[in-house]
Amino acid sequence: MGHAWIDGKPATIDAATTEAAKVLAASRFPVVAGLGTDIAGARAAIALAQRLGAAVDHMNADAVFNDLDVLREAGMMVTTPTEARARGDTLLLVGTGLVSAWPELPQRLCTSRTAPDAGGAVRRIFWLCPGAGDERVLGADAEATAIGHDPGDLPVVLAALRTRIAGRPVGRTPLPATSIDALAADLQTARFGVAVWSAAELDALTIEMLCGMVKDLNARTRFTGLPLAAGDNAAGILQACGWLTGFPMRTAFGRSRPDHDPWRFDARRLVASGEADCVVWISAYRAATPEWTRDIPMIALTAPGARWRRPVRVQIEVGRPGVDHDAVEYLAATGALAPAMAAKPSEAASVARVISGIAAVLSAGAQPC
Amino acid sequence: MLTCLAGGRVVDPAHDRDRIGDVWIRDGRVVEAPQGGGSADARHDVSGKIVMAGGIDIHSHIAGANVNTARLLLPEYHRAALARPEATPLASAGWSTFATGCLYAGMGFTTVVEPAVAPHHALHAHLELADVPIIDKAILAVLGNDDVLLGLIHARESASAVRDYVAWALETSRALGVKVVNAGGAAAFKSNLREFSLDDVVPYYGVSSRQIVKTLQHAVHDLGVPHPLHVHCNNLGIAGSADTALATIAAAEGLPLHLAHLQFYGYGKDGARGFSSHAARLAEAVNGASSVTIDVGQVMFGPTVTISSDVLRQFNARDRAQPRKWVIFDGDSNGGGIVPYDYRVDDFYNAVQWAVGLELFLLIDDPWRVFFTTDHPNGAPFTAYPEIFALLMDRGVRDEWIARLPAEAMAVTTLPSISREYSVTEIATMTRAAPARLLGLADRGHLGPGAVADIAVYDDVTDRAAMFRNAALVFKDGELVVRDGKVTRRRWGRAFAVRPEHDRAIDRRMRDYYDGRYGLSPEFMTVPDSAIGRPDPFELVPCIT
Repeated sequence: MGHAWIDGKPATIDAATTEAAKVLAASRFPVVAGLGTDIAGARAAIALAQRLGAAVDHMNADAVFNDLDVLREAGMMVTTPTEARARGDTLLLVGTGLVSAWPELPQRLCTSRTAPDAGGAVRRIFWLCPGAGDERVLGADAEATAIGHDPGDLPVVLAALRTRIAGRPVGRTPLPATSIDALAADLQTARFGVAVWSAAELDALTIEMLCGMVKDLNARTRFTGLPLAAGDNAAGILQACGWLTGFPMRTAFGRSRPDHDPWRFDARRLVASGEADCVVWISAYRAATPEWTRDIPMIALTAPGARWRRPVRVQIEVGRPGVDHDAVEYLAATGALAPAMAAKPSEAASVARVISGIAAVLSAGAQPC
Repeated sequence: MLTCLAGGRVVDPAHDRDRIGDVWIRDGRVVEAPQGGGSADARHDVSGKIVMAGGIDIHSHIAGANVNTARLLLPEYHRAALARPEATPLASAGWSTFATGCLYAGMGFTTVVEPAVAPHHALHAHLELADVPIIDKAILAVLGNDDVLLGLIHARESASAVRDYVAWALETSRALGVKVVNAGGAAAFKSNLREFSLDDVVPYYGVSSRQIVKTLQHAVHDLGVPHPLHVHCNNLGIAGSADTALATIAAAEGLPLHLAHLQFYGYGKDGARGFSSHAARLAEAVNGASSVTIDVGQVMFGPTVTISSDVLRQFNARDRAQPRKWVIFDGDSNGGGIVPYDYRVDDFYNAVQWAVGLELFLLIDDPWRVFFTTDHPNGAPFTAYPEIFALLMDRGVRDEWIARLPAEAMAVTTLPSISREYSVTEIATMTRAAPARLLGLADRGHLGPGAVADIAVYDDVTDRAAMFRNAALVFKDGELVVRDGKVTRRRWGRAFAVRPEHDRAIDRRMRDYYDGRYGLSPEFMTVPDSAIGRPDPFELVPCIT
């Protein structure tokens, strides 16, 4: 049971599946984009891409690469949300978009004290350059001391902070020198400090400066970082791409071995340039649709409610992971892959099942992925 | 379907067998030759070849969050490898899960153990292992820096309370055994300690590393888990670490204990550089401690990446990263350190490390107690195994290598004077019969009737590296999967796990604990069958009663 359409007209899932396979078989360079799905959906989608010689991208890959580029070019010190909660006596919240990235941040992270084995210390929370709408009160007992008020100042302010921690002089910044020095001193007296940021809001160079400062602080004390993942299971898909292909998303299989290039295999660019001639768009968590306006044959696997400017070639409504069907996904509360059992199990087909169906038609009888 | 492997040299040390003969397979198992000389449906003429059970690797970092971080840290390595597969960093090591299974099978290995999985990441590790084709696998769950255990010891709770917790962790993680990594060291590092030895004490708990190791050793043994406590000692990799290893070996006190990658503890402080081999001392101690087993963790030359749950050690090693980037992960208990490294033939220290591993192999007498590993990828990628077999089996090959290494490095080891060469039977013992026994896999590692038909057939050639690099034939559960080193049929193995008997009251206790500390139910760390996406994904290994 489920809803499917071919060229905007209602069809059975079987017919839509067959049509999708036909469209893909006829295409020369498809791209599997969106990739808002659970781990099973990712395994199926990446296997399909490998088989078709397609590229894979994720709708939130820009944010993923802000962090990943820093990690793979400079390295990083990181921790889990659970350890930050248990042990982080000093939290340095950085920039804006933290609560929108992790809505449970206030109650999960900002309890008033650390765990007994971490000293049961009263937690200090500093918020560096919060945005205008950011609420400084983070829970019943947790209030953040704001330093600065414009996230746009972060590149200069972080550089100055890092420099002062190293004991070197700085020139003028948008913030008073005393504020920067006071924060530098507070960070250095942390017992186990945790910097928290959202890669969706900062660029890679800013993140690199922040992570460099975190490393510098470890010369004398303990400090680490907590990057907040982008939505639509971006962090989970990154992991799945890694183990299945050795590379993150924005990888293509046209040469029968994985080719990773974050510029070349950006789905938006592939569509805009005309290099891609077909898209498999996946958005199971919400009915997101792609940004591009170009008319390109699209096979859309989306949660109910997707609205299109023009009917897509094939559309199949899929179940939402952790709602309609059991799933595995990145859990913000733990920073790891976790089971998400179906809250309201239904007959709606999962992304994995739909893609297996497409692959089966493509194989005409051989094992699906 | 009845299959016969006819006329090969059958090497089966578990049954004291090394002679020409046939091996019969039916329904995935080795069977007796049919009465009255029945004929096989499939017959493989393996005369002139060596037939042994499939290889079992007890310590290889192939799956999980830390391994995946290493993949994401080093895209330039595997991009280079794909373009020029022969002579580049981790050239044939196979970054993806798919490549891992195929490469291992191609060398005749049929079971691999991922030795270091944090219980909170068990689901991730099992998902990766589910995408490793052909081989059977298992994980070891890392304990020993976790608040629960340290709290139990600090509060002097009973041995049965500890056993219940360990059993709960094994069951929840679906692990085959317990690993302890620098017991207490990761917790101490969170409190800003920068070194940690066997008798050092973790702040707040007041519990020593030795106490943690002994507590876990007893718990694992008393639960009847076949695999002994698997220990990554303190002070890995530093000059003088031999003293730590010796103290840990002595701490076994007659109960089973397995020391991992002992090579990294084989260093003394002698000589002009204050760095020398103490492998002979370690070998002597291992020879004299019959309850102790070790795996070597052999170093081979070339660029690689170190992946370890010893966060403290990896943090201390960060400035030697090559290339100069690293990841330090303060996990919920242990965590991870990923530090790329390049072992160079012209480097004094690396040459000593290479020699230490070989000394351990050659000076430890009992092939049932020394295990063949490179601690992949920490000493070398597992694709270096064929070269290591050659080094062990042929003194001439060793001499050629020694001649190319810094003489002053060889001078602080005993390696040049060792003439021992491993026999085929000893190799089969060390890589098949012994690991099966050490892991509690009663129907593997041998070719007696009833054994699972995981079988490797090798061409008997003098170039032992070539022999072990590409197996002539490999059978997995009685199905032919490899021919001449290449996978011919993709299939999926199982993950082994133990489920020791224990008092279920621990379930409630742990739910309360997770609720209090994290505001979460421990459901997040379970490994549901349905998540794995393979038929029959797990196989239960019985505990010893």
